[in-house]
Amino acid sequence: MKREVLLQEPKPLMLHSNQETMKHIINFLVFITLTISALAQNADQLFKAAGSPVNPKVAVSWNRYNDHAGITEILRKIEKAYPGLAKLQSIGKSYKGRDIWCITITDFAKGDPDKKPGMYIDGNIHSNEVQGAEFSLYTAWYLTESFADTKFIQQLLADKVFYIVPTINPDGRDSYFHEPNTASSPRSGVIPIDNDRDGAVDEDGYDDLDGDNEILIMRRKNPNGRYRLDPADPRRMVVVGVDEKGDYEMLGLEGKDNDGDGMVNEDGYTFQYDPNRDWGWGWQPNYIQNGAYKYPFSLPETRAVMEFVMKHPNIAAAQSYHNAGGMILRGPGDPTDQVTYNAADIRVYDAIGKKGEELIPGYRYLVVHKDLYPAYGGELDWFYGGRGVYTYSNELWTPYQFFNKEATRDAQDNSSFTFDRWLLFKDAFVDWHEFDHPQYGKIEIGGFKKNFGRAHPGFLLESDAHRNMSFTIYHGYHTPKLNIDTIMEKDLGNGLKQVTAVVSNSRLMPTHSSQDLKFKIERPDIISLSGVKVVAGMVVDNADLNISTEQKNDPANIQVANIPGLGAVTVRWIMQGSGKYTVTVESRKGGNIVR
Amino acid sequence: MRNFLFFILLVLSHGLTTAQGYSDHAKQTARLQALAKSNPQLAKLRSLVKTAGGKDVWQLTIGTGKVDEKPAIVVVGGVEGNHILGTELAIGFAESVLSGSGTDSIKSLLARTTFYVFPNMSPDATEQYFASLKYERQSNTVATDDDRDGKVNEDGFDDLDGNGKITWMRVESPIGEYRPHPDDPRVMVKADLSKGEKGRYLIFSEGRDNDKDGQFNEDGEGGVNFNKNFTYKHPSFTPGSGEMPVSELENRAMVDYLFERSSVFAILSFGSNNNLSTPISFNPLAVNQTIITGWLEPDTKVNAMVSDLYNKTTGYKDAPKAGPAGGDFFSWGYYHYSRYSFSTPGWWVPKTKPDSTKNEKAFTLDDAGANFLRWAGQQSIPDVFVDWKTIDHPDFPGQKVEVGGIVPYAINTPPYKLVPDIVKKNTMFVLKMADLQPQIDLANIKTEKLTNGLTRITVDVMNKGTIASHSKLGERSYWVKKVNVKLNTTGNQSVVSGKKNQGLNSLEGYSSQTLTWLVKGEGKVTIEAGSPTTGTKTIDVTL
Repeated sequence: MKREVLLQEPKPLMLHSNQETMKHIINFLVFITLTISALAQNADQLFKAAGSPVNPKVAVSWNRYNDHAGITEILRKIEKAYPGLAKLQSIGKSYKGRDIWCITITDFAKGDPDKKPGMYIDGNIHSNEVQGAEFSLYTAWYLTESFADTKFIQQLLADKVFYIVPTINPDGRDSYFHEPNTASSPRSGVIPIDNDRDGAVDEDGYDDLDGDNEILIMRRKNPNGRYRLDPADPRRMVVVGVDEKGDYEMLGLEGKDNDGDGMVNEDGYTFQYDPNRDWGWGWQPNYIQNGAYKYPFSLPETRAVMEFVMKHPNIAAAQSYHNAGGMILRGPGDPTDQVTYNAADIRVYDAIGKKGEELIPGYRYLVVHKDLYPAYGGELDWFYGGRGVYTYSNELWTPYQFFNKEATRDAQDNSSFTFDRWLLFKDAFVDWHEFDHPQYGKIEIGGFKKNFGRAHPGFLLESDAHRNMSFTIYHGYHTPKLNIDTIMEKDLGNGLKQVTAVVSNSRLMPTHSSQDLKFKIERPDIISLSGVKVVAGMVVDNADLNISTEQKNDPANIQVANIPGLGAVTVRWIMQGSGKYTVTVESRKGGNIVR
Repeated sequence: MRNFLFFILLVLSHGLTTAQGYSDHAKQTARLQALAKSNPQLAKLRSLVKTAGGKDVWQLTIGTGKVDEKPAIVVVGGVEGNHILGTELAIGFAESVLSGSGTDSIKSLLARTTFYVFPNMSPDATEQYFASLKYERQSNTVATDDDRDGKVNEDGFDDLDGNGKITWMRVESPIGEYRPHPDDPRVMVKADLSKGEKGRYLIFSEGRDNDKDGQFNEDGEGGVNFNKNFTYKHPSFTPGSGEMPVSELENRAMVDYLFERSSVFAILSFGSNNNLSTPISFNPLAVNQTIITGWLEPDTKVNAMVSDLYNKTTGYKDAPKAGPAGGDFFSWGYYHYSRYSFSTPGWWVPKTKPDSTKNEKAFTLDDAGANFLRWAGQQSIPDVFVDWKTIDHPDFPGQKVEVGGIVPYAINTPPYKLVPDIVKKNTMFVLKMADLQPQIDLANIKTEKLTNGLTRITVDVMNKGTIASHSKLGERSYWVKKVNVKLNTTGNQSVVSGKKNQGLNSLEGYSSQTLTWLVKGEGKVTIEAGSPTTGTKTIDVTL
């Protein structure tokens, strides 16, 4: 029974004959019983499957997509169900006034959330790259629903804070779902732009000629065409051999010449600008980097994210979900920016990236400028180059996931047709149908729908969400975890004592990435001795050979440039007198600890 | 044309403000408000944005009718906070133009050109010139951690000799890099080790090492520099650049405003950059890369022509060499805004000739400071130098430390009595540049009647102006509009051949492109051609 029917109000009871009244009462009771049983199964009837919440407080179907209103509702439910683990806030408003939601997931009972090492996750910066929002929602849902049962998650949320922003382009997202589009449109946001420089804005975009909320492909019978039908699957068009005659020509995406300038679909709402070229590291103007807007963060959505990140210097790791291709990407996007990624940091990136390849079969760990194309002013460039945060962008969905073997998204690859035919029962394809076109005459329109090719089909969505979530958890797990290993005392005579503390970091990421150290993006870590009179302080470079560097100013609070990943630093104070003392470590990205 | 220029000269000689000195922000505001009030049809004043320090960044639009639809020139002062003259030049330009507004020549100028004037983009920094403690300041009031040590504003200047000016300290040291200028021992110059010269002094700006980190005055009040905060070659993570490009309110407001105005064809900013005394030369290597670092060839030709005009109009020579540092407004104007971008200091200390009556000899070593001091002496300008005087300095125990040097602002800020003439020269240049602006025309209209109601229309779309319809670089940018040509039909007319709607790329000065259509039908059609930077021309054609 469809949910919509269940939630309809039952008809009000009216005063009729007794028989009629009884009938109404019985109908009403049957209705209520069915409703209750369908909404929440009896917990006794359920048995936990490994690794999944068995009876979640927040019921969500993970085999479909949600527009912005839908996302808002799910986030509100999670916050309401888990007040000690989830807090929702709006970090800004989009161009059209939609809230950009951030849900903070952490154990709020353990420590100050904004001082814990932070993992930032967002999705859907490109309007059509929608599943990043579902994957982000899944992460927030899974962490909160599994917290009670899973020790690892209890420790994870005690140590770390997750800032999850399911969509950073809500206007574009809703436009993609609710307006006619292809799988690849719109990529941009919705601020209007005069792309063909003729003084008119958005005067010739795609046209949904057949009114089915899809922008499909137009073909026309033409004995001089270069295409014919694939005899194995007549929905598919194949290129004829070099010396063969064809039956069809392909006319491009659904549309017509709206402004009489001899061009079709050259200035529409779907090609405004690229929000992933609006970030403040290596930014280039639109004639060098197609799609750049005015200057970094000139779009309200990217500015909102930037302001949030600047207010949360504890963010040490980040993921920004895109589609498609099955990739785990790191920068640089700018080919001239390779100096920014030095060997030490590449080692950290490689370790985590390769783990991702293990966890998500079919996904490959790649470098943007080298394995994809040059891209200037991208989000992951600013997160790393501008703030020193270890960042990946996962391009979600790969045709490998059709049959767990290599396949491409190429139009000539027939695995899409085979998958659609046998596993989706042809749900993803609109069959070719005739249309009378004002410029082209008798044509046919058909093709794959916008929810196929880049977006996951429903039954594969939850599985890939879980795998990518696991990768981001591994990534977040490896933000620094600091520990004061030892504090040793030595009497120097003359009322002076020497106190030596060793502070270690048991995770892969250092408290300052190399980019951070190079430009002093964040301030140094501070290791302090309090409760006693401190006469001198130093960083011990080599404890065995007794090599140290004195800090003449403010010796009680020793500034340490960095605490390396899977490494340690040693500091030493000379104190006068005796008494109880405390060692404190304050690190922007490593957290605060006391002993 | 000659009459026009004669009128302008008359106007400029008489119609200027009677201000007695440079204007602080309050006085700048008063002058601008007075202009707007007495010229309500021609001048509109608005506050572009309020800085973090609470000061209005003023923007004055001068023009008539539909001001945003006419070819426009942007004039900017206060690009660098220590360039006080720039603001004076921008306001002086506005005052000159508006005082002549009754004349036919100004009326016809403003009928075809709009001026967007931004007198001061660094209103907080320029106030330091009027403060009780003077030091050259380019930064706004936002508190920044300039040395990135985790502390903010912990080590600024200190007025060790209590004279209300921050100058220099010289510390005698065997490893010092500086020595006195051979011809003027007041001036410190770097010793050339390759020539066997020996230095004797370490040089610092006046102050103490307040935070004991070994550096002097490295993190004082403020701030981000307007002229270091733009996107072209942004000098990331350096003092004054801001945490990211275009981070500051004043920079954002200006960029947002300018991108919305597609009618701007040229920008003139006053500051240390200078492509008017010597134009940018074409460098093929610089333009043949993805990220270009030089002007395209047709644009260098326009620069050369405008530079020639500047030098002839002002008569200036021997300009000091200047190269843009990253993040500057002048470079942004061309490389990222894709308009013709011009910059000049507006004035500089002329190259002095030794005065034999004062026993002066030619300099053996060229130095701007020494040249300035000689010029100031010849002009009898007082109080330009603080004599070196020994002080006790706690950071240099037992060492000889003296405080002294050229007074802040002295080199870049001419005595006020010279300002009216400087304003006149630079204003004249702007008005002459306006004369060169691109201008669309439709000429040589031919109609040929062919059989069966078919007419062939041929027309030349012409740029009558000297400057191209927009920069060559602008062809690549979607913020710069093409010259659009429309053939508008009515009723049962139809276009058989030719485009109803087409865009042309940059039309060079004094050039044209011929277009032709075949139209079937009777009556009139209209042809409309133009772009925001060229204006629009419409003609009726009878079939």
